[in-house]
Amino acid sequence: MTNSLQALLQKLPEPNSDTGDWLERLRSDALKIISSRDYPSTKEESWKYTSLHDLRKNDYLIADERNTGALLKKPYSRDDFLEADKLHLVFINGFFQPNLSTDELLENGIKIRPTKTKKADEKCNLETILKADLSETFSALNILTLCDSLLIEVEKNRKIEKVIKLILIGESSEPLLKSLRIIVKMNENSHARVVEEYRSHDKDAGLTNVVTNLRLGQNSTLFHHRLQMESMNTTHIGKIDAQVDSGASLYSDSIVMGSKLSRVDIDVSLSGRAAYCRLNGLFTGINDQHIDHHTTIRHLVGETHSDELYRGILDDNSRGIFNGKVVVSADAQKISARQASNNLLLSKLAEIDTKPELEIYADDVKCAHGATVGQLDETALFYLRSRGLSYKDARALLIYAFAEKVIESIPLPALRQLLENKFLGHNQMSEFIQQG
Amino acid sequence: MLEISDLHVDVDGKEILSGINLTVKPGETHAIMGPNGSGKSTLSHVIAGREGYTVSQGEIVFNGKSLVDLEPEERAGEGVFLAFQYPIEIAGVNNVYMLKAALNGIRNYRGEKELTSVEFLKLVKSKVKAVGLDESLLNRQVNSGFSGGEKKRNEIFQLSVLEPMLAVLDETDSGLDIDALKAVSDGVNKLRDASRSFMVITHYQRLLDYIVPDYVHVLAKGKIIKTGDKELARTLESKGYDWLTDGQESAA
Repeated sequence: MTNSLQALLQKLPEPNSDTGDWLERLRSDALKIISSRDYPSTKEESWKYTSLHDLRKNDYLIADERNTGALLKKPYSRDDFLEADKLHLVFINGFFQPNLSTDELLENGIKIRPTKTKKADEKCNLETILKADLSETFSALNILTLCDSLLIEVEKNRKIEKVIKLILIGESSEPLLKSLRIIVKMNENSHARVVEEYRSHDKDAGLTNVVTNLRLGQNSTLFHHRLQMESMNTTHIGKIDAQVDSGASLYSDSIVMGSKLSRVDIDVSLSGRAAYCRLNGLFTGINDQHIDHHTTIRHLVGETHSDELYRGILDDNSRGIFNGKVVVSADAQKISARQASNNLLLSKLAEIDTKPELEIYADDVKCAHGATVGQLDETALFYLRSRGLSYKDARALLIYAFAEKVIESIPLPALRQLLENKFLGHNQMSEFIQQG
Repeated sequence: MLEISDLHVDVDGKEILSGINLTVKPGETHAIMGPNGSGKSTLSHVIAGREGYTVSQGEIVFNGKSLVDLEPEERAGEGVFLAFQYPIEIAGVNNVYMLKAALNGIRNYRGEKELTSVEFLKLVKSKVKAVGLDESLLNRQVNSGFSGGEKKRNEIFQLSVLEPMLAVLDETDSGLDIDALKAVSDGVNKLRDASRSFMVITHYQRLLDYIVPDYVHVLAKGKIIKTGDKELARTLESKGYDWLTDGQESAA
């Protein structure tokens, strides 16, 4: 009997490896890799807590440009997305929408280009980047069913002042598989801020499968904020693969509030001396949401540093998973790695599985990790209520207080405010903080 | 204003208060003194409505309304305020934001219009000087990283903004040096008027040199065993509680 992954693959046209097109060649390789596989099962260690049962049951339609027309909402206009000081790029059902996006795609020093052209790009070496994670089922599937991809390349020595915001919307009345690829290439000594914002129509019940490849050249800095707020019926599979060269710094946040099932894998290689990464995460679960983060930080050489802070807030029957792996290579001396996973359970039925995993092959290292699981502080709740806050407001404020440690580290005021709103409604705390 | 009659309170199935009778009239300041474990803090918490404090018998009536079944925020709305012995640190929450949410919570309860941020900040600025609070504390996180003195001053500052009719001060003097004690007492004294009442819970007579009470009550084993004026506090300072609890005067 064909399994559900194979059933999906049968809907694809055969890749044509004879055309000499490298992307077709890559598709053909990808197909070879997964042609005998099924979706990962809970028997695999890294999928132990996350069952893809629902995903198997669904008969997904592979997104193509025709079904971007099947929108649930009235047509958008560019004005719906305009924000000051931002370059915005809109994708609907997997496909780039030039009419809705910023028209200044070629600012000074920045190349933002949907990689529709399937020609090899020698300078950027896309083929090598896309090949890197082909062995993983969802990455191979991503290549095989790719809708659009986007390459953002920042020129050497450039600091991009405007925030580059990608808005990726799921809007289909059908269960659509949308595969997206985002590549950010930071050339030497460049600086940029990128937001990936996933949203969807309330009724969207699709599957998003997106891979983000981040390549940080020497002494470059990238702020990368991934915000997942899809509807509660969707499945979201995300992967970030990052390589950080010497002296470069990656600040990457994963914020998950949406989807019925969300799985984000983050794999960062610190490959040059004084490379740094900070991975922060914040996730909130309600109802029967299932939110899984698997992160891996590889200290490949000495004098590399990492910080990681994940905070999870789980209510109702929701379940969270945080698996934080840190690998220190044999010669990677004088590295430091700090990891913290703090979790707040708001209901007796909510569950968190948090697990640090350290693989250390060097001897002169500083590694620290800690995990906590707690509940709302009853005394603090009483304190706020005795001051006049309703139970609901006091509870919301304490939940916000827990999330704040991650929120305050985000250097984008608009994003901080959006998160504040999610927790506190429209009473803005920031208006007081800015006064100070 | 406040009438407590035959109040019995259980905590974890154990009776802590065993028949308290106490009447506080508008504008009066009552001091509650007594040895450790006498039930002083229980009394303050049960007035403010803390969970886990069960009224098994008796009544707490505030301006003609029973408080016993009201939620803590409803009691705040009625005009009750408790200054905590150990003010809670809430990292991540801005001090002024919390206070605005509190005041607007109370205003909502009373059917009054909420204050805008601009109106609220104006109010806060006018109050902050009155209690001698360093203005920089306003925009810090609630009590987070505050010294003991700053925390207590912040409680009094909250009191001055929320303007309750009855303020219960639970060992506000604990952990304060003499300068902080004076500053906190000054803040309290500025808020005393003909309509606002205070219940000052303390171990030591020292605080009552600054916040001079109209009445002093001695609480022991869950009951008020003696009531007097401010001179009673002085007697307690020199003689201790033993002569009362043992039921006999010492030879001093």
